[in-house]
Amino acid sequence: MVSNSRRTVLTGFGVLNPVGSTPDAFWQALLAGACGVRTISLLDASELPTHIAGEVPNFSAKAMMADTKYRKSVNAMARTVELGVIGSQLAVQHAGLSKGSVPPDRIGIEFASLMGATDINDMAAASKLSSPDGEHVDMEVWGKQGLNEIVPIWMLKYLPNMPACHTTILYDLRGPSNTQIPGDSAGLVALAEAARIIRRGAADVMVVGGSEGRLNPITLARYNLFVQLSRRNDDPTRAVRPFDSARDGTVMGEGAAVFTLEELEHARNRGATILGEVVGWASGVDRGKKGPGLARVIRNALAAAGIQPRDVDHVNAHGTGTTVGDAFEARGIAEVFGRDTPVFAPLSRFGNLGAASGLSELACSVLALKHGEVPGTLNHEKPAPDCPIAVHAGAPRTVKKPYVLKVSYTNLGQCAAAVVKRWE
Amino acid sequence: MRRRVVITGMGVVTPLGHSVGELFVSQIEGRTAVAPITHFDARTFPTTFASEVKNFDLARFIPGAERYANCGVNTHYALAAGRGALAEAGLLEVKGDRSRMGVYLGSGEGKEDFHALTTSTATATVPGERVSNIRQAVGLLYQRLSGPQEAEQEMFVPSGYLANEFALDGPFASCQTACAASSQAIGEAAEIIRCGEADMMLAGGSHSMITPLGISGFNRLTALSQRNDSPTTASRPFDLTRDGFVIGEGAGLIVLEELESAKARGANIIAELTGYGSTADAYRMTDPHPQGRGAIRAMADAIADAGLVPTDIGYVNAHGTSTQANDAAETAAIKAVFGEYAYKVPISSSKSMLGHLIAAAGVVEMVISIMALRKGVVPPTINYQTPDPECDLDYVPNQAREVRFKHVLSNSFGFGGQNIALVASLYRD
Repeated sequence: MVSNSRRTVLTGFGVLNPVGSTPDAFWQALLAGACGVRTISLLDASELPTHIAGEVPNFSAKAMMADTKYRKSVNAMARTVELGVIGSQLAVQHAGLSKGSVPPDRIGIEFASLMGATDINDMAAASKLSSPDGEHVDMEVWGKQGLNEIVPIWMLKYLPNMPACHTTILYDLRGPSNTQIPGDSAGLVALAEAARIIRRGAADVMVVGGSEGRLNPITLARYNLFVQLSRRNDDPTRAVRPFDSARDGTVMGEGAAVFTLEELEHARNRGATILGEVVGWASGVDRGKKGPGLARVIRNALAAAGIQPRDVDHVNAHGTGTTVGDAFEARGIAEVFGRDTPVFAPLSRFGNLGAASGLSELACSVLALKHGEVPGTLNHEKPAPDCPIAVHAGAPRTVKKPYVLKVSYTNLGQCAAAVVKRWE
Repeated sequence: MRRRVVITGMGVVTPLGHSVGELFVSQIEGRTAVAPITHFDARTFPTTFASEVKNFDLARFIPGAERYANCGVNTHYALAAGRGALAEAGLLEVKGDRSRMGVYLGSGEGKEDFHALTTSTATATVPGERVSNIRQAVGLLYQRLSGPQEAEQEMFVPSGYLANEFALDGPFASCQTACAASSQAIGEAAEIIRCGEADMMLAGGSHSMITPLGISGFNRLTALSQRNDSPTTASRPFDLTRDGFVIGEGAGLIVLEELESAKARGANIIAELTGYGSTADAYRMTDPHPQGRGAIRAMADAIADAGLVPTDIGYVNAHGTSTQANDAAETAAIKAVFGEYAYKVPISSSKSMLGHLIAAAGVVEMVISIMALRKGVVPPTINYQTPDPECDLDYVPNQAREVRFKHVLSNSFGFGGQNIALVASLYRD
């Protein structure tokens, strides 16, 4: 049996977020109650019912790319990929690691990502040739002429595994490399798999991250069609209202959150700064999003960590601000914690970051445990009767206990949970 | 002792049949499924052919199939293959707690609404311009795309519906590491069982990229064979004249189960999953490392993980894509791992007949490998005519061969440099 005595600690953190793109700026913004949701400026989305979102301001992958020889490869990256690669760079730097500082076979990557939608302009010329009237598409013309108008590397810009792929090349990561795609749960699934890989001894360090660049024409149009999005276009910073009785939907956001996860002795031997310990995780499906399945996943994560609900300082919820989603999540949390444990939902600060949501949200609590105070949930003003939990809103509160439990889920009830312990 | 993982059920939807039996007979007989594309009009594309799933009807597999009408074929194929695997394992009937049973699916994007994307973009673009009026394009996309249909193309959907349809309430994951995805899903699902988080995992993959944008993308990368005058001989792994891979589609799922739990319920044990290796090349986006750096360690790790030495392996099911780069690098890597024995061990590529099922390739090839192990027959590499001096191993050319062996190694390597190797063994108590 592989020894389970190998412990997994977080040692580096890179963040690109609507409220801040260094760990300090991100933390200070959270403490100050800042909100990064605003009218979308990356494109003119005014034709859509919801045209507010969480954008990462002033992000330039080319300018931020530390390896100058790799800058031209940015042309082969969709924004999701750019955010993921730069986020990984920031995490590796923050951990005090560099290319070759860990034997390449002993360091890998687990990334949460999604297929990026094509940039409209990548298809513009081909589409116009094949559909001059904008109603019918002539496939013969597309195949003969249109296709040649598309850049050869087109597909590589959008594949989900590209953030991980570029990062393995940039930092010579030759250990296991995987990319998780289960939507909003992908980040915690990636974290669990990375921890398992380290525990079983297949690597000593794993880059674990998620990135999301969904603020493009196709993806925004799609989400406006089937996701409950808040219509508070005139009041963006008050739009996402987790577990609030006036909630009317979520908003989309973009960003990245990347950690380095490291075997404890490896981290100690190189004198790394430890941000927290990943002590437990679980996942499972709540068919029909009723609540008991989520409660079971939470209990399994607590059991894996060897702790009780009373040991948890606060629950970090997904808290999307959707009518159905919040009620479901609250039922699951309430079944385990009742109203005894404060619930913190950071999503109202920056929007739903999709594949980056799980780890971006978790990061808020990792920093909270480290700094000893938990920021309040924004826009939770009138508790909703269908959300029977104790949401922590308002001024920051002091951390009283050493553990945080993080929850994520997808629309089909795929729930994931993780437990992180404050490092002492 | 670590927990042992056995296989108790297998299901497939492939261009060579919608059952494991049909698929394996086709492989042994050397039949090919490659033909002109019928899913859309591809007659003027650089590549006009593919390996398509034919005559598939979800209603033959699932009651109430109309609930999945808006889903892409990736979800449809996954549900059908999942049902086949669970039926064989005797796990279809839901009784009692299912929270120790989970899903790990390698999969990809759903179907694109090519017509809405193209016409919206065209309308918002002035002739001769390369830049569109984005405001107008966004508005048109919002009008022309279908909400109910788009909702079902999210990447968590195939894995989510597998769990919901078959009451698999335990751990889940879904990965997309290009052509390595479903092998990686099997390997990591086995690890989930080994470490005690689940007792059963439905693992594998499902994918189709035989769409206008999928073929356009691969054609622009010049990854596909363009032998349009002879589709059935286009996939020719390890042959000197190979000119690219042939794209396929489909799904495969296998039931991985902890040995004692399988025994306790009297399950029929098909084989044991004994070894898993996972590495990255860290080399280039599309090309494998020329000496197969990552592939070597993936194979070596998988063999060591199984507690074996290379000469214990009786058959290698190669990744064998029929691209110049892969087949040469894979051959070099096999030589590095197996030494002199590389020239003795039978090696073949299922893709010569089946095409490349991308995210579903690894699992379907694992199913074929397990059938070969159990039947004592190794499928051939068809279309092998002109030896390549760089590829000088025994690829079981054109004719199946009877070989008795106990352990099989299956390779999967993905765009982006992910390398996965799996070892399956005849089950012995």
